[in-house]
Amino acid sequence: MWERNVDGRTLNFHLSGINNQNFIMRDEETGSWWQQVSGQCIAGPLKGKQLQLVAHDELPFALWKHEQPEGRVLKPDERVAAQYEPVDWEDRYAKLRVITPVDPDDPLKPRDLVIGIAMNGTAKAYPMARLEKLAPVADTLGGTAIVILLDTSKKSVRAFESTVDGRALTFSVKQDTLQIADAETGSNWDFTGRATAGPLAGRQLRRVMVLKDYWFDWKIYHPDTAVY
Amino acid sequence: MNAASPAAARRPAHTVLAWLALWLMAAVLLAMIVIPVYLIMPFKSQTPRAIDLAFNLKRWSPLATVLGLITMVALTIYLWRSGRWFKRTVLVMLMALAALLTWFARQNHFEWMFHPLPAAAFDKVSDATFVNDSDQVMAISVNQEAAAYPIREMAYHHVVEDTVGGVPLVATY
Repeated sequence: MWERNVDGRTLNFHLSGINNQNFIMRDEETGSWWQQVSGQCIAGPLKGKQLQLVAHDELPFALWKHEQPEGRVLKPDERVAAQYEPVDWEDRYAKLRVITPVDPDDPLKPRDLVIGIAMNGTAKAYPMARLEKLAPVADTLGGTAIVILLDTSKKSVRAFESTVDGRALTFSVKQDTLQIADAETGSNWDFTGRATAGPLAGRQLRRVMVLKDYWFDWKIYHPDTAVY
Repeated sequence: MNAASPAAARRPAHTVLAWLALWLMAAVLLAMIVIPVYLIMPFKSQTPRAIDLAFNLKRWSPLATVLGLITMVALTIYLWRSGRWFKRTVLVMLMALAALLTWFARQNHFEWMFHPLPAAAFDKVSDATFVNDSDQVMAISVNQEAAAYPIREMAYHHVVEDTVGGVPLVATY
């Protein structure tokens, strides 16, 4: 999810190609090509410019409805709705071919899903399979303490800075719920990173942007990435 | 020497040159169109050089095809007088190819495969019966305005433009 303003100009994007299995977008205004996953301009008059990432996440519709009852939902395009991906699209995508070189010693497979986090010049990939087992996961990335949370469907991932007023908090989640608590103050937190009860009630954890991606794709754009 | 074709009889070298130019032009235009389609094809590995080449060919092909088409029309008119039915058939086919390439240079064939959504429409949560509770959505909230983009729709359109909370955005998948 990218902002469309670049140097004070609003751009309009179209699909225009594929680069190593990631889409290229073309802007109408200058004809430049942009890499969808990195937001970087790779060819044309704006080459080298970077689109601004907008915080967003992927979550089950039920959970989103609960958090945003006043929100709006993208309507299907009736002309092509029959061609939309079936409900089991994730399993089918996982079987698609990968064309970039595969390292035989790599414990991760190219189409393994990872949660990629890049902050303070450091990149790290958290394999979904590990997060599903271990969440909530506390880690330090580029000197910043973070916590990674999963929702009950184990598909939606959010990360937050885990320090409030200079105090590092340790989070735990009651099994199969979204009841989150910190050990230091005993405050309760929700999945949006807001304290709902306890001494810290009303406080908001700083959101850390995550990208759910295939391992091969994340590695192309973050060649120096660490793996959790 | 064929007396029925005085023009060809008089200037055979020019006719040969004109045919050569015509074929060359057709080949260049064809290459300009086919090479980028091939280079940025799905399920292929791309290098930065290939991307640059594809970009430049696509950038200049709308202009190049028009100039090429005009030149080819002129050559065809010149050759038409001296040609017999067989050669005229070849001329017509080359012109048809040039016209097709000129048209294709103005198309975005990726948008044939993945229908764009130029005017995205939205429903309130209560009316969104087209999404199952367990379906994943991409969600965003800017300045108290929240929008969700069901992944099954995004995985088809790939690029959806929107303005949320006053900020122009592009949702990509």
